[in-house]
Amino acid sequence: MTLLYGFVGAGIFACALYMILSRNLVRMLLGFSMLATGVNLLLFLAGRIESRQPPIIADSARALGEAADPITQAMILTAIVIGFALTVMLAVLVLRAWRHAHSIDSRNVDSAESLGTPQEREPADD
Amino acid sequence: MLTILLISFLGACLMPLLAYVIGRGAGLVIALFPFGLLAAFVSMAPFVERGWVKGEAAEWAPWLGLDFTLRLDGFSFLLCLLITGLGGLVVIYAGGYLTNKSPAERARFFCYILLFLSAMLGAVLAENLLVFLVFWEATSILSFLLIGFEGRSARARRAALMSLQVTAFGGLALLLAVVMIGHVLGTYSMAQAIDRAGELHASPWSTAIVICILIAGFTKSAQFPFHFWLPNAMQAPTPASAFLHSATMVKLGIYLLSRFEPVIGAESWGRGALITVACITMLVAALQALRAENFKSALAYSTVASLGILVLLVGLDGPAASVAMIGFLFAHALYKAALFFCAGSVLHATGLYSLRAMGGLARHLPLTALACAGASLSMAGIPPFIGFISKEFLFQAQLESSWEAIPLAIAVIVNAVMVGVAGVVTLRPFFMGHGKVNKVQHGETFSLVMPPLLLACAGLFMSLAPDWITRVAIRPAVASVYGRAVEVDLTVWHGLTPMLLLSFVVVSIGAVIVIFWRKIHVWLRQRTRFNTYEIESLWEASLRNLILSSRQLTELLQHGDLRRYLLAVVGGTGLLVAWSVAGAGVAPDIPLLGELRPGEALVALGGLGGAIVAARARTLLSAMIATGLTGFAIAITFLMNGAPDLALTQFTVEALLVVLLSALLLAVPLASPPTRTKAMRGRDALLAFGVGALLFLGMMDMAAREHVSIASDFFGRMSLTSAHGHNVVNVILVDFRAIDTLGETIVIAIAAVMARSLLRSRGSEGPVPGPEPVHFSLQMTGRWLSLLLLLASMVILFRGHNQPGGGFVGGLVAALSFALLALAYGVNHAQRVLRLRTLTLVGLGMLCVLLAGVPGLLTGEPFLTHLWWEPGGVMPALSTTLLFDLGVYLVVLGAVLAFHFGLQREATR
Amino acid sequence: MTETVLLTAPVILPFVAAALVLILRARLAVTRAIGLIANGALLVASLLLFFYANGGHLVPLAVFGGWPQGISISFSATMPGLMLVVVTALLALAASIYALVDVGPRRRRAGYDALMLAMTGAVNGAFLTDDLFNLYVWFELALIAALGLLTLDRRPAQIDGAIRYASFSMLAATFILLGVGMIYGITGTLDVGRAAATLASQPPTFASATAAALLLGGFALKAGLFPFHLWLPASYHTGPITAVAVFAGLLTKMGFYALLLIFAGMFGVGAGGIGATQLVPVFGWIAAATILICCAGALAHTDMRRMLAYHIVAQVGYMTIGLALATREGIAAAVFYMVHSIVVQANLFFGAGLIRRASGSWDLTRAGGMARTNPLFALVLAVPVLSLAGIPPLSGFWAKFIIIRESFDADMAWIGVVALIGGLLTIVSMSSFWSDACWKEPRGKPVRRVPLAGLIAMTILSGATLAIGLMPQGLWTLSLLSSRALASIAGGGG
Repeated sequence: MTLLYGFVGAGIFACALYMILSRNLVRMLLGFSMLATGVNLLLFLAGRIESRQPPIIADSARALGEAADPITQAMILTAIVIGFALTVMLAVLVLRAWRHAHSIDSRNVDSAESLGTPQEREPADD
Repeated sequence: MLTILLISFLGACLMPLLAYVIGRGAGLVIALFPFGLLAAFVSMAPFVERGWVKGEAAEWAPWLGLDFTLRLDGFSFLLCLLITGLGGLVVIYAGGYLTNKSPAERARFFCYILLFLSAMLGAVLAENLLVFLVFWEATSILSFLLIGFEGRSARARRAALMSLQVTAFGGLALLLAVVMIGHVLGTYSMAQAIDRAGELHASPWSTAIVICILIAGFTKSAQFPFHFWLPNAMQAPTPASAFLHSATMVKLGIYLLSRFEPVIGAESWGRGALITVACITMLVAALQALRAENFKSALAYSTVASLGILVLLVGLDGPAASVAMIGFLFAHALYKAALFFCAGSVLHATGLYSLRAMGGLARHLPLTALACAGASLSMAGIPPFIGFISKEFLFQAQLESSWEAIPLAIAVIVNAVMVGVAGVVTLRPFFMGHGKVNKVQHGETFSLVMPPLLLACAGLFMSLAPDWITRVAIRPAVASVYGRAVEVDLTVWHGLTPMLLLSFVVVSIGAVIVIFWRKIHVWLRQRTRFNTYEIESLWEASLRNLILSSRQLTELLQHGDLRRYLLAVVGGTGLLVAWSVAGAGVAPDIPLLGELRPGEALVALGGLGGAIVAARARTLLSAMIATGLTGFAIAITFLMNGAPDLALTQFTVEALLVVLLSALLLAVPLASPPTRTKAMRGRDALLAFGVGALLFLGMMDMAAREHVSIASDFFGRMSLTSAHGHNVVNVILVDFRAIDTLGETIVIAIAAVMARSLLRSRGSEGPVPGPEPVHFSLQMTGRWLSLLLLLASMVILFRGHNQPGGGFVGGLVAALSFALLALAYGVNHAQRVLRLRTLTLVGLGMLCVLLAGVPGLLTGEPFLTHLWWEPGGVMPALSTTLLFDLGVYLVVLGAVLAFHFGLQREATR
Repeated sequence: MTETVLLTAPVILPFVAAALVLILRARLAVTRAIGLIANGALLVASLLLFFYANGGHLVPLAVFGGWPQGISISFSATMPGLMLVVVTALLALAASIYALVDVGPRRRRAGYDALMLAMTGAVNGAFLTDDLFNLYVWFELALIAALGLLTLDRRPAQIDGAIRYASFSMLAATFILLGVGMIYGITGTLDVGRAAATLASQPPTFASATAAALLLGGFALKAGLFPFHLWLPASYHTGPITAVAVFAGLLTKMGFYALLLIFAGMFGVGAGGIGATQLVPVFGWIAAATILICCAGALAHTDMRRMLAYHIVAQVGYMTIGLALATREGIAAAVFYMVHSIVVQANLFFGAGLIRRASGSWDLTRAGGMARTNPLFALVLAVPVLSLAGIPPLSGFWAKFIIIRESFDADMAWIGVVALIGGLLTIVSMSSFWSDACWKEPRGKPVRRVPLAGLIAMTILSGATLAIGLMPQGLWTLSLLSSRALASIAGGGG
């Protein structure tokens, strides 16, 4: 299964990269969301796919028996939440950009780059 | 000496304040300070004249090889006398010269001059090369500040920048030389470097060291091809020009070269380089001196020529060269400063720059004319002035050295030109062309007249009664330059010698130049080709080209296309990985395929399929649905592999993403023309595939090896017994690695702040005015469903420690509940039900999370050590972990709602 | 008790203050006061920690939750993080003073105080932690707070800049996360010291080589190294100047600190470690390219913010030379450079902000006249300007000198020469910057006086630069200690 999960994870990762390289900002955003998914699956491999038992101590036991690696899970859980926060934030930024530029093509969303360049002889006073 | 230096710097900062108090006469008072320093040095004369060397040291940064070591020998002593003595005169003169400036500007000028004086003292006293470098650069900076003193004028700024850029270039060369010397010898002592010149010569760095020292010396002393900054530096107020750009600072390069003469001479080409550069410099400067229209420019070019002579003398071998070098350096400092003072007085009095416009000033400025005549006679080398003696030495050195006749011929020509210049600058403004100037703005004052007169007299007096100065300053200086004592005879009449003959030739040619100056001058000025081939314009052009090509390069790289930027990042990282594994030279291990469980395989492949569909999707909606599918497939995969917590979180996150992103998708066009050409898409896919493949191999290599996690084992053993939780993942989140969770919680909190800032309406966070669109279909079930979700979220929160769940998922579910309410009844209603503002909720949650760590701290344990309280064993155990999880719950709830409310409002706008 | 309180304070104190600011956000005077007080307390706390740590024989250590070290997450007061915490606090205090004039009610209402405090806490967390995943969390927190600060005014340019910044950084975060996960998968631990025991002493495997490259890519992007630097000049110039000054000081340096921790520490580069030797030459190329390209970028611009943004990146290039040398002294040189650069970069942005405020333009072709109207400002500005240009005896000179010296001693003279060329370009750029801003007559409006609070903030930082410059021994000693501490992570201590 490891091989298969690795393949699927890397595949999702590659698809996500392909989407991120788009100039459509929303497509890029969805790419980032998917990138996080792919990475989480890949990270899951760091704890190995050996046991399918959840890392929850049975009522009768005092210690965890054979179970999936809990640290990996805690790590991925944190990463999911952070990824969620970043994705939503990027969505808000894209929405704001849409509001002022009326475009979601990244080539049209360029007022940062054109600010204060020597090529544009319109000095920035603000 | 250390004390003198300290006092000097301190005084430089404090004395100028007097300029505010005293007003116009301040110069005379402040001048007492440098004269005091002069007296302090003179008191050391008995020490120096015995040929002793005085050393002093203080610790600065020994670990860097940096000791504050100073050394006073004959050469340094002579320069110290010049610096302090001339410094005093310059201060007096400046007091008279800057009368039309405000007190603040005068104070600034005095401050610069005195700081410069201190820096010069430091430079000539420094023994440690790093200390020398510090002071060397300090003089460059002060020169920059003084040249740009009239910063309003674009020419002054240009000149200041030019001088700084050229001398800083030299400074960097010096830095490189110092680093290399330290690298070879393991010490930064100047004396060591000179003593161990042989070692330096034997090292592979010797050529580079000598080249760097030469560049440093040539830039500072304005030698070809770096000479052009000096004439431009005449933009500085005249007292500064007199002090920095003729008498002292430009001599620092000579000082460096002559100190390092043994190192330079060790290279077979070293002396040749010195003499060649000196000869070119002298010729170029002589030519330009004749072309110069401006009083100060003519003097500046003659200074460049003089510096060329000094470099020539450094390059020549034999004792006579050393004697001549010291003699000429001394004489030049005296007469050139005097001439600059006179030029300044003329400028001050008439406001005129051009030599051709001046005339007959002797009537208005008689004493200045006298001083100018005295200094010029010295410069022209007319006996019995000291310039004559130094010129004799110069010719003697050349005749005695082993060099061919060419340098001698050049020296004769250049000296003749200098005679010519001396004549022109004295005769034309003062004694010829009567009536050209009839009125002067300022007359002569004591401050303006005394310094040049004194210097001119000194030039005469010292050649007539040379005993004291020879004994105290010249002889020890020669000895320390040459390395052993040399007999110096500073008398005017040496008898009929070849030198006298040469002097006679020089003066005769000079006289011819004076007579035909106007014709020569006009003819030379008409040859505009000189302007095009000036190094100055080459330098400016290369600077312009540098900036232009910088722009082109920057435009090329910083093109503004986000896609290509990200391409560079992905490609760059891919290359790094490829290089890293290739450089490591290892092949990846691939784990065995093992047992294949069809159900799970199908789900996972479904996830991959979703990803491929998303990547190929035409519209954003289908892309989003496909992305969501992938997310759900992976969530199921987690569930099937023993990770219910992950699955729960992933499910909720995917659901919320759909809710939140719909606000965005509702606004933007769902189908837009493709933004990439087919070829681009192909390349992107190839790159993405490549990076994915590398990653796959790396992951497989990792997974193929055995995995041992001590921490996981520990957590599994201790989770129930010490941390009272069955669900190990949750215990890790709230206890074992709680600080991660704390950080993550704050990430969410900050995201909420940002959402508020970005989504706020123009007013404050109050209710939305006007009617809101609501979903009646949701109203039927909305209220009950949301209540149910809220209850569920509480359960998830509380049972989290033992079963899948916890603060995060709980908070997300609670947020879903309010989101539903907002969709059904509008944001205002949901906010009313919530009672607290979202950000307040977030703040309270943060506070809970943080406070949960404090009780442990109070009992002397580390932060976030949880405490447990089991009231009588009947009630469920209470603990700070619950507070922690509650905080997480609140933050997540508040944050998600901040986004949701904001987005929903945004969508209605 | 003292130990754990002191170690926790630099992180928890700003967070508590941020929480309070959020709750009390309606009262702007209160939030402003909380910000100032918290930053003052932070400086005191970090100084106490510094002296406490230097006074004892054992390294202060706090494992959160009281679990064994190496199993759970621990903070430790080791160099260079310890020193950087103090510098961070100094900068944060200066920034909160500067903010009194630059950050008005509108920006405070948008959450300036909470964002800035959270960022300070995150930076401190990254400097103190011993745990790889924890490091990742702090980086994310710093990122999101920085994005919030960048977009405080909601100007179109800020939104665009933030999109650029965010998309780059999310890629970097992904690479870092993957790298960290792989390190865990290889070594079974997230503790830097424990991971080092496996990684530094053994030749790289395919997996560890991949992980090292991913971490290099991710943190190089955060540090702004070529070719990953493009986001920085594309976004920094749009933000409020106080925030940008703090970014300039801290964020890239935080990225570079992570590179030091991972490569000099965990992989033992420069301490005999063999786990990532294949990447050492890459450091050299990246450093050289960064210096030359970004110095050129600075020369190309006349807008102060963009010009200085390029200088930030170029300076990180110099630090990377230290890593590329792979010697103890090289690493120490990098640490020295890092501290110098934090103080100077932030100060330059403060200066740019005041020039804009006084003369009405960010563009050097229009701004000017500062020396006549504000002579004291011109003097205070000269310190960071000259320091960046590497003029002795200011901090930048020693930083450059040490880097160049060590590159000769490490037989990599070529890179020292590259550093010198960069130094020359920096002098050209900085001298015209100062001359244009201070001497030239401004176009248009008359020049106003600069506000006192801004000048005070700059004076604090200029004073620090001068102190480093006049007493380089102190910082150099600390840098050598840092290098030793980093080496001892991989077991090469002594």
